[in-house]
Amino acid sequence: MISGAYLGLFQAPADYQQGDSFRIIYVHVPAAWLSLMVYVIMAVAAAIGMIWRMKMAFVVAICSAPLGAVFTALALITGAIWGKPIWGTWWTWDARLTSELILFFLYFGVMATYHAFDDRKTAEKAMAMLCIVGVVIVPIIHYSVEWWSSLHQGATIFAEGGPRMPADMLTPLLLMIGGFMFFYGYALFITCQTMVLKNERKSRWVREVISRNHSR
Amino acid sequence: MNRDITNDDRSKLLTLENLSCTQGENLLFQGLDLCLRSGECLHLRGPNGSGKTSLLRIVCGLMSSDSGKVLWQGRPATSDTEFATQCFYLAHKDALKSELSAIENLRFIQALEGNIDEDALDDALDKMRLLSCADLPVQALSFGQRRRLAFAKLLVIERRLWILDEPFTGIDKEGKVLIEQLCIDHLEKLGSILLTHHQKLDSTPLKAYLQEYDILKASK
Amino acid sequence: MSTFKIYFAREWQLMFRNTGALIQPLVFFIIIALLFPFSLPAESNLLQQIGGGIIWVSAVLATLLSLESMFHADYQDGTLEQTLIHHRSLTLAMLGKVMAHWTATGLVLSLISPVLCVTFNIPADQIWVLFVGLLLGTPSLTLIGAIGAALTVTLRRGGVLIAVIILPLYIPVLIFGAGMLTQSYQGLEVTSQIYALAAIFAMSLTLAPLAISASLRATIK
Repeated sequence: MISGAYLGLFQAPADYQQGDSFRIIYVHVPAAWLSLMVYVIMAVAAAIGMIWRMKMAFVVAICSAPLGAVFTALALITGAIWGKPIWGTWWTWDARLTSELILFFLYFGVMATYHAFDDRKTAEKAMAMLCIVGVVIVPIIHYSVEWWSSLHQGATIFAEGGPRMPADMLTPLLLMIGGFMFFYGYALFITCQTMVLKNERKSRWVREVISRNHSR
Repeated sequence: MNRDITNDDRSKLLTLENLSCTQGENLLFQGLDLCLRSGECLHLRGPNGSGKTSLLRIVCGLMSSDSGKVLWQGRPATSDTEFATQCFYLAHKDALKSELSAIENLRFIQALEGNIDEDALDDALDKMRLLSCADLPVQALSFGQRRRLAFAKLLVIERRLWILDEPFTGIDKEGKVLIEQLCIDHLEKLGSILLTHHQKLDSTPLKAYLQEYDILKASK
Repeated sequence: MSTFKIYFAREWQLMFRNTGALIQPLVFFIIIALLFPFSLPAESNLLQQIGGGIIWVSAVLATLLSLESMFHADYQDGTLEQTLIHHRSLTLAMLGKVMAHWTATGLVLSLISPVLCVTFNIPADQIWVLFVGLLLGTPSLTLIGAIGAALTVTLRRGGVLIAVIILPLYIPVLIFGAGMLTQSYQGLEVTSQIYALAAIFAMSLTLAPLAISASLRATIK
């Protein structure tokens, strides 16, 4: 799975003809996409956990939060690096940038909530509640920020839609998005596995797994 | 086990089936079965930390158990809103507002039930020997008086099941006699009581009604 | 409805027995707002331009300060627990409590704000805009904030966590509220922002109580 991401990373720049600084798009766009997708996945998992009391759903939601935060941070950092040569500034108060930044804070809030509680079950539920509240408010935040930034018209240099993308650029981009998704899936799988083992370390099946690994 | 709700089930007010609870990493109890009929008083006994309070909180729906069921008259107690209007939980905390006076606290409890009857409030305070401090703010009352005021709440509202967590701690002899009499009156009216106490309750008039249940022995 | 009324009335009774805690957020609000003139160049008319935004930020911070105590006393003395067990309409009870809380913070903040505007030399027509905006926006702030307060009620140091989880959620209200002022400063219509604030208010009025009771059920054990 992880090889998919690497393949995309190394293959992609080869297809590219224009200025080198544009290459960052192959990291920036997938990261931005994923940052939103992970939030939705997290909220859905949280809702499933709250409604059907599924332990695994909580674990998925909790493990998604740091990953989502990393994607958001990556999108922000690459965006800033990209923005410097193109817009001539590290940061503008553009709608998308601002929304992304708020999303980062939301991820941080979710993680902070989870770690603030001593009791795991309470922490899971509290975190899930926050995810659900967040997902209701995220669209409102997005629209309000969009409206607000259109008020600051002078500041936004970013053209609507952007340049059209030729097919040879689109393919590696889609490949990269796929790769990022695989990476997310893989990382989620590993972190979930660790967390389940940690949560259930008292139960019998975990001990069996450990003793089996030891004897090997 | 799939069975119809028989007459026997209906006389069982509260049934706990195969209840387990873990606190963090520690297993408190496991496979607990218990039933309470009307007119019965069940005394949960066990050392500190054996999960008595947790069990009460599970019954009230404040805590979720790891497995097992809480049944009220044969039906699950959690979703049954009837259960909420039929039980009263008196915890370690008195659930009194310290800024409000004794009578205001009782009035609030009564107002939530939908009936306002000032005489009943006075009666309840009188029974608990608190009439002289009816208008004092609760923060001016002593611990024992506050405890008695908490019990006065039980007189203001009609509930079939009383769930009492350590009702006899921190209370003087006179107060203890009052509370015991209160419990006996309730049981005579075919109400039920679930109470915890870490010691044996031998030398009380309640003993005639009492059924003891050792939480450690019952846990499998 | 009677549950709402009973809780609303009791919250009022409690708040007026404890006037110290009642006044704190208000004094905080005034002090924060009045700190800004000292940090800005003295003779510019900058204050007139950004005064509304300052008042909005102060209102947000004052609301935030008042949140921590919202459920804390009830949790400590066990009454919150009783509400959870014995009350069928927890949502309505919580709505009553939170709205009573708003009348003591948000409503009073809105009423004080014109006075602050006068000290900032903000013109009269803008004072109206700010006042209406605060009146519509602060209930949403209190309702959304109460979710955070409910989530953190069992924690010993919940104050900072409330800020971390709630402030990002306050952004829409802040944007529309402060945006109204910018619009009216430029001589534009503000009705669309009023509608937006009203919509947020309606949404938080219906959804926040549900989230509050669910949060309380999740965290109290």
